[in-house]
Amino acid sequence: MASDQGPGMTTYVSIWVGFLAIVGIEVAITYQHPETKHLLAILLVLAFIEAAIGLLYFMHMKYERKILFWTFVPITVFVLFMMDHVWPDAFRLFYLRLGQ
Amino acid sequence: MSDSELTMGAAHGVLMEESPYGMQSKKLAMWLFIASDAVTFTAALVAYGFLRIGSPDWTKPFDFWPSIANGLVMTFVLLSSSLTMLVAVRAAKGGEKSKAVQWLGFTMLLGIIFAALHLREWFRMFDEGWRVYKNPTGGSVEFGAAFFSVTGLHLLHVISGVVAIAVITWGYNRGRLDSNHVETTSLYWHFVDIVWMFVFPLMYLMNAR
Repeated sequence: MASDQGPGMTTYVSIWVGFLAIVGIEVAITYQHPETKHLLAILLVLAFIEAAIGLLYFMHMKYERKILFWTFVPITVFVLFMMDHVWPDAFRLFYLRLGQ
Repeated sequence: MSDSELTMGAAHGVLMEESPYGMQSKKLAMWLFIASDAVTFTAALVAYGFLRIGSPDWTKPFDFWPSIANGLVMTFVLLSSSLTMLVAVRAAKGGEKSKAVQWLGFTMLLGIIFAALHLREWFRMFDEGWRVYKNPTGGSVEFGAAFFSVTGLHLLHVISGVVAIAVITWGYNRGRLDSNHVETTSLYWHFVDIVWMFVFPLMYLMNAR
């Protein structure tokens, strides 16, 4: 089966070290005190990079049949995208509360 | 092609054909669950984002010490537990049962340490007056609701994962379960770790003083 293939422990340990480095970078950037929206963007990008690497290597998706990726990832991304339609309402709530 | 030619080692009278995913049903079911759980966590985090944007008086209560430092230790522990789980799965796939059981044990231990650190953080916040419905700094009470909901949901997944690993380890050690069960459980555990990669930055770092 495809799942019997996979990287060796050296790759896993390297990825683990890489994850720790990314977390360190996230903390370092946080304490540079950037604007909230910039910090959010950077943290989300780094988190998605970690998630993608974790999914591909730790969860072995890279070594499974491609149909697994195409079954789950596009639809999940679509659902995440659809959830992002609430933000205008959040800002409307902010200005509504400011006006009170 | 006759029915018997279509059947692949299944019980009498049961028609089976190879899964297009090339994996056992339990593993595919775990992927399905993970996809739905990912969406659940996303909904919780989007709700947090909605409340935060909508609150002019949002609180950022976390000092580096002890909160962010504790979060860093928790992150290290959970990442390490994913590594120990990988060792366990490789051992199980290689037929090294005692090694697999040992590393599953390390994974459970790290999961318990993560949960203990998390609860310690929670109780420290309770002592300061934080509740789901109360903010001792006088800022938005929605901070407590968002924080305890999201981190509580993740903590529930960690504790459930530890219990699941314990059950699988027991069954695998007794010979009732095989390496595929260990691998399927490892998918869940790695997912819980990946979720923390979002929870820590969004709930802790975004609220760091």
